Amino acid sequence: MEDISNALNLGLIVVDAEGKVLLWNNWIAKYSNIKEANALNRPLEQAFSEPVSSAFLAALKNTLEYRLPVVLSTALHRTPLPLYSVFETTRQQARMYQSITITPIRSQLNEPCCLIQITDSSTSIKREKILRSHSELLKKEAITDSLTDICNRRFFDAHYEIAVADAKRQKHLLSVFMIDIDFFKPYNDYYGHIAGDHAIKQVADALKAQLSRATDIVARYGGEEFVLVMPHLPQQVAEQIAEKLRRAVFNLAIPHINSSPFHRVTISIGLCTGIPERDDNLLNKADAALYQAKQKGRNRYISLPLCESEEYLEQ
Amino acid sequence: MSDLNELHLDALTEVFSIGAGRAALSLSEIVGDEVRISVPSVQIINSEDINSATLSLSNGRFGAVNQKFSGPFNAEAVLLFTEEQALKIVSDMMGSQMSLEELAEFEHEAMCELGNIILNACLSAMADILNLTLESSLPDYTVASADEILQRLKEDSNQPYVMVLHIDLAIEKRHTAGNLVFLLSSASLTNLVTHVDQFLGNLS
Amino acid sequence: MPADCSIKKLLIVDDSKVSRMLIRTHILAQYPEWITYEAVCGEEAIALVDEDLPDYCTMDINMPGISGTDTAERILSKYPLIKLVIFSANIQETHQNRARELGTILIAKPVTEKSIALALDYFADSK
Repeated sequence: MEDISNALNLGLIVVDAEGKVLLWNNWIAKYSNIKEANALNRPLEQAFSEPVSSAFLAALKNTLEYRLPVVLSTALHRTPLPLYSVFETTRQQARMYQSITITPIRSQLNEPCCLIQITDSSTSIKREKILRSHSELLKKEAITDSLTDICNRRFFDAHYEIAVADAKRQKHLLSVFMIDIDFFKPYNDYYGHIAGDHAIKQVADALKAQLSRATDIVARYGGEEFVLVMPHLPQQVAEQIAEKLRRAVFNLAIPHINSSPFHRVTISIGLCTGIPERDDNLLNKADAALYQAKQKGRNRYISLPLCESEEYLEQ
Repeated sequence: MSDLNELHLDALTEVFSIGAGRAALSLSEIVGDEVRISVPSVQIINSEDINSATLSLSNGRFGAVNQKFSGPFNAEAVLLFTEEQALKIVSDMMGSQMSLEELAEFEHEAMCELGNIILNACLSAMADILNLTLESSLPDYTVASADEILQRLKEDSNQPYVMVLHIDLAIEKRHTAGNLVFLLSSASLTNLVTHVDQFLGNLS
Repeated sequence: MPADCSIKKLLIVDDSKVSRMLIRTHILAQYPEWITYEAVCGEEAIALVDEDLPDYCTMDINMPGISGTDTAERILSKYPLIKLVIFSANIQETHQNRARELGTILIAKPVTEKSIALALDYFADSK
């Protein structure tokens, strides 16, 4: 039992009828920075080194008194308990956004207790913040690529991290499309940089025009490289979209004398769809697919499922 | 049904007014402003007689918070608001400048909590006043059309009675009307009446 | 046994019959000789007070017509010697403050032995 509660990726606290701590799992110990031994048998509000929100205490008191389950939503409470997440990149601490449920249970001795479950809702809050500041940031051009007016690499990196975390947590499909303009260096060499920039802009516009959902993001990844992230698409549908993207650029009919056999600007697409397990899998696999598309003659997409890539990585 | 007289309904109205008062207190602590909740009426009807007029359901979509509870009587409690009103309540409670689209992301969790506060307050008032102990499931939130909701309320033949409470909720000058519906089996309704009788009996 | 054995008159104002019964039953259990009479709304209460002045009064807040707090204000401004308590399910700060401004107290419903004891203490606490 203890192993299970400690292995869980959520916080578990059990308090007795007087509100004293009976169980304090590893997750709570980690994010509160308070060891189990220092929390056990203490009244919950004193187990933490900082005050607990009054709404939380009122809810706990209610559950202890009336034995009715209570939910405390992130939307209305944010951070009832003093729990902190540490961001690996900056090493900074931030108070964790929490969703809490308090349920009346009985102990093995049949004594009334309360089970408190805490989940980290920071990820969705982070997305909310990005959404909220989206338009504001656009004004500052902080996240927009100045040439193409689509999202820049910086925005993409932040968005991608959130999209992957969401897909991991909710176990849903995520598709990544890596897109590269074929024979772009010869185009620049022949037509000049100004025409090159113009072609990039036209391609970006064509790609953007294919997207309809707010959750779909296209960004300029590098010089003539683009990336798209789309959640909730079965692989077959993602492939149809890849073909749509290819055709949209092909139909722009931008002349390109040094691109055989069509003599127009085309793109190659590497697509990977799957439920992410590791953060970098989708991008890497989409990149590998793009490489294959180039090898097989360009102006095409190659789609690779994510699951193979794991076997591939493990080999 | 005929066992329920005016005094019973008056007693139940009083019970739920106290529940509403408790819910208003909890909500006002969250929003930091006065919250007014009143229960102007309690009705008990056959579920087959329920229609969009009894619940003052209009067209459009509704947010429904659901908790099942058990004890001396078992019931399913459903709190209904129109989806549009539900979003406005959530936005008022969160006190932010978010657009309705962005709010939709929080609607589910926040509505669960709002429903949980109101339902638990009503259940705790019943427990205190009628002197009984009730257990309850965690809340669940669904969005459905008026037809789907009526269908669901009627489909369970084991729960032929519904107790309907009209609820007026005012947060920060915004008035909202909703309904709290309890689905009861015949046995549960009888037990509820017995408890109300016991409570009234202690008075005389 | 209560110290003050004189007969007191109590006006109970509440739109709920059950609430009135509860208050009456609890109080008469302790002071069987007291005289109680009842009003179902603010307007009736104001008229009754003019007709037959009570010593004590219990007042609900949410009633059809004028609210209990407004009724209490009118009664107390005219008859400052009446000892009045407000019984309400709504005990938010705004109501607590309003009661304090009126020089009375707000007692949380439900009506129980405990909440009635608070009212009786307040009545007995003569100025």
